Amino acid sequence: MEGAVLVIGGGIAGIQTSLDLTELGFKVYLVERTPSIGGRMAQLDKTFPTNDCSLCILAPKMVEVFRNPNIELMTYHEVKKITGKPGDFTVTVLKKPRYVDETKCKGCGDCAAKCPKIEAPNPFDMNLGKRKSIYIPFPQAVPPIYLIDPNMCLMLTKGVCGVCKKVCKADAIDYEQKPQDIEIKVGAVVVCTGFDMYGEELSSRWGYQYQNVVNALEYERILCASGPFEGHVLRPSDHEEPEIIAFVQCAGSRDLHENVPYCSSVCCMYTAKESIITKEHSENSKCFVFRHDIRAYGKNFYEFTQRAQEEYGVVYFQTKISTIEEDPDTNDLIIHYEDLKTGEFKDFRANLVVLATPLVPSNGSKELGEILGIELDNYNFYKEKSYFNKLTSSREGIYLCGFCQGPMDIPETVADASGVASQVATLLSPVKYTQVKEKIYEIPEKEVKYDDEPRIGVLVCHCGINIGKYVDVPRVVDYIKTLPNVVQCEANLYSCSSDSQERIKQVILEKNLNRFIVASCTPRTHEALFQETCQEAGLNKYLFEMVNIRDQCSWVHMTEKEAATEKAIDLLRMAVAKARLIKPQKEEKLKIEPSCFIIGGGISGMTAALNIAEQGFKAYLIEKEKKLGGNLNNLNILYPIQEDASIILKEMVEKVERNPNIEIILESKIKDIKGYIGNYDISLQDTNNEIKELKVGTIIVATGAQELKPQGLFQYDEKNKNVITQLELEQRLQNEDKSWLNEIKRVTFILCANARQKEGITYCSNVCCGASIKNIDILKELKNDLEIVALYRDLQMAKKEFEEYYRNRRKDAMFLRYDLDNLPQVNKAKEEQYKISVFDTNLQDTIEFETDLIVLATPMIPADNLKELAMMLKVPLDRTGFFLEAHVKLRPLDFATDGIFLCGCAQWPKNIQDSISQANGAAGRASRFLSAGEITTSGLVAEVNPDKCIGCGKCEDVCPYNAIELIDETKEFEDISIVIKKSSINSALCKGCGTCAATCPVGAIMVKHYDFDQIGAMINTYLLEKVKN
Amino acid sequence: MTEAKKEGKNEGFEPNIVAFCCNWCSYAGADLAGVSRFQYPPNIRVIRVMCSGRVDPSFIMKALKNGADGVIVTGCHIGDCHYISGNEYTKERFERLHSIIIKQLGVNPKRVRLEWVSASEGKRFAEVITEFTNDIKKLGPFKR
Repeated sequence: MEGAVLVIGGGIAGIQTSLDLTELGFKVYLVERTPSIGGRMAQLDKTFPTNDCSLCILAPKMVEVFRNPNIELMTYHEVKKITGKPGDFTVTVLKKPRYVDETKCKGCGDCAAKCPKIEAPNPFDMNLGKRKSIYIPFPQAVPPIYLIDPNMCLMLTKGVCGVCKKVCKADAIDYEQKPQDIEIKVGAVVVCTGFDMYGEELSSRWGYQYQNVVNALEYERILCASGPFEGHVLRPSDHEEPEIIAFVQCAGSRDLHENVPYCSSVCCMYTAKESIITKEHSENSKCFVFRHDIRAYGKNFYEFTQRAQEEYGVVYFQTKISTIEEDPDTNDLIIHYEDLKTGEFKDFRANLVVLATPLVPSNGSKELGEILGIELDNYNFYKEKSYFNKLTSSREGIYLCGFCQGPMDIPETVADASGVASQVATLLSPVKYTQVKEKIYEIPEKEVKYDDEPRIGVLVCHCGINIGKYVDVPRVVDYIKTLPNVVQCEANLYSCSSDSQERIKQVILEKNLNRFIVASCTPRTHEALFQETCQEAGLNKYLFEMVNIRDQCSWVHMTEKEAATEKAIDLLRMAVAKARLIKPQKEEKLKIEPSCFIIGGGISGMTAALNIAEQGFKAYLIEKEKKLGGNLNNLNILYPIQEDASIILKEMVEKVERNPNIEIILESKIKDIKGYIGNYDISLQDTNNEIKELKVGTIIVATGAQELKPQGLFQYDEKNKNVITQLELEQRLQNEDKSWLNEIKRVTFILCANARQKEGITYCSNVCCGASIKNIDILKELKNDLEIVALYRDLQMAKKEFEEYYRNRRKDAMFLRYDLDNLPQVNKAKEEQYKISVFDTNLQDTIEFETDLIVLATPMIPADNLKELAMMLKVPLDRTGFFLEAHVKLRPLDFATDGIFLCGCAQWPKNIQDSISQANGAAGRASRFLSAGEITTSGLVAEVNPDKCIGCGKCEDVCPYNAIELIDETKEFEDISIVIKKSSINSALCKGCGTCAATCPVGAIMVKHYDFDQIGAMINTYLLEKVKN
Repeated sequence: MTEAKKEGKNEGFEPNIVAFCCNWCSYAGADLAGVSRFQYPPNIRVIRVMCSGRVDPSFIMKALKNGADGVIVTGCHIGDCHYISGNEYTKERFERLHSIIIKQLGVNPKRVRLEWVSASEGKRFAEVITEFTNDIKKLGPFKR
């Protein structure tokens, strides 16, 4: 069995899988067929719904991959052959010639600067920009190694030129390189090959053949500050700013006659994002969205699409498009469409059209599938082993992650990546840590003494235009250069890129620096990256300081360049003042208890427990009810697989009960949680008030959600037995006795009941549409002559299986569309008979009818008493009452606090398939720590100066971690010895909050890195040395 | 350090404001204000501390003494503290400091404020800072 894993594809899926795998104790070969990792996410301008800069959050991970000693990065390689069996695969990988020796190339770019051939379109910019024939795909490429395009290069095509070889000081150019086969041995394979976006594949009616019609990925590049138009929104035809921009949804999808019949799942959201960013770029632009359904079902998604309309004035039309034509005189586009609200046929003139075209499995997926011997589905996505096990392919030992399995967004992909890593860890658990090596800093740490003269280096980031546009960066640099102790100060475009890390190391070494400062974005996301870079250059990582001149300066003072520049200068002056006084710190190792505590015994909790247990760790599964299963107990048939929920539940419960590593604790509640990552003390109380104490290393929150009972809405109350919720219908259907159906002739489903509103519950809870369609189908099968009406607003059927599921069933009911301004009116006609009046927006008419049974699809809301649990865990809830993850895009399963994770409906309403993959992911995240067996504690702790301490004990009182105790110290005074009390801080328990230091009446406690003199120096520098620039 | 009876001239006055933000909630809230592009006046200079509980009264006094026209301390909402209870001590300490500032030193209490801002309250951070800056502008320069 091999302790190494092959990951195919270097997008966010492959990156996250690789990083998690190394933390679980495996060596990774990351094969990427293009010259750089980063994938599609690197091409995006921003990410919804926070509009975080995509590259800003991705680049640190790319750099992390590049520097990870256990990831062998094989970019510009392709998989050719695979033999063997799970645990022992032999893979042949083709190394394509770069014509540049990667061991010699420094990525300086001299070659590209001198290369005379400039004609090649750059695929990274979706061919809207140009590159040289020797190039890197984009400035932040990882690895930062150049390569030659053999079809363009004059030397390789015609044997003339050779300029790059002449100018390369590193002698890295090698025109003689040949393709090379490399054989590697791995225990498992993860396929993460991602997607392509259609363009010319569309039928001509969508108008993609015209210059000013672009697909959404092309538009991302247009929007991007580092894109072909440097972030100016321009039309490709004349490079003029378009005034009217039309975004066309579902172009070429969701129709059997179009390119793909499924929904690509992310377009509604990125369209809202792109339209918002467009408005931010050019206020005078007008954005129009030609929409179908709005599918916005994630956390803050629906609200985001509302914001686009209400705050940014983006206009949404509900339409059906017949053709898009060009006006040849102006290169404008004329959209011929049917307005579905009025039934009229109209024309719309736009200066630029952005098409949300189908996202399809990336080019070559079929061929790779054949090489790997794994099956594809009807749409050429890789086929999952079963609906509920979407991370495993049809061949054992080969796993699937991300868009290559089906449409999904970034957080789902990242959750899958962690899930896949944990599945691999289960398969290969006997060979963990057999092929990995520890990170070794080649350059030994240099000693920095207290009285050494500070030699400070400063890097000021432009962050594309994110900082540079609103802060005068050259002026900041010029000023900071003049400060005492600042030896070096320079600016750059992206401080987080790998080339910048090399630059930082180079400067530290060349200038013999003993402090380093980066002024860029927020230390919350980027401090660790720069600290590691410093450590790699032999500089203790605590001798680094970070200044936030983007999130807290340029982005919040966008109209005040002068004042923003002054603020940036002040913040940097303050950081320099602090940097002079900071000291190197040491870190300590802490043991991790090899067990996990899982809160909630539903499908998510059971899945997580099984995964942890199968990796060989102890799992405690606590459930407040009498039996495991959670909401699954109340479900009848599961869509789209049409399987009986009770069978699936029974199998799962048996598996959990059989596993010797799982301890199930029923009918118990949590009394108290103490401790910290690696060492939690949990006390539980059962119904007999008996207390049980556990010691665990990590915690997973899987508390699920519940269905909203809409008291008083649409006649829902105790008196009306035939106005029920979806879950109540499921329970009736579960029941053998179906006699209740005898009296019923007409059924009405009301979707979005109490959901997606302006006030109250504003979100979409994702599963109700699918469940309604399933139940309509079941009712129809039970009683074929039922007349069923479904009142809906938008249908959320975003998974690859769902569109077809709906298509096959849409004739089962009459679907009437209503909108929020005209909610259906429900009145009681007589006992158990209701009169419904609804304004159908498709027919533009009010329809009245009677019904015998009303089923309300209400949203999922957070489980009860989460606040109490959140307080015990010290983790936050979001605005809607669900748990708030550490980062909505890239840390969907983590809490900000190390050691605690979340999954399933505790995070957000989701279906069973997604709950299962999140649960596997959370188990993967948690087991990284269990696998490692230890963590390194922070060097940022408090310390007592015993000479000053008067032993009053106030610090002991305020410390929330019991890290401080008063100890007896014997003092000898000539012939008398006196015992006095002195405070003592356990650095393994201390979290560095500093409350003790602020409480100490005599200033005897020093908080490392946030000490009195350091903070005092910042205050003094700002106020006393204030400069007018 | 008694505040002058007459309020200073307010026209074109750009106050110096020191803001202490805790790493986990309010600093993250300030970041979210940035990510969401909520604009606020550029007068504040943020000093990041791990917990609002770290903010020693002497920091506030030092800032006022050395020329700050206002000082704002922000932390996690009560109950949300990343360090469990740090902000409760902040609150207690702050109330004490407030009474000292007012009674013994005669500083207008509006110049020193304590606010809770969570990591998801970017908008609130921008609003709190806007309001505080405007208040200090109205009060005019802090004459020592």
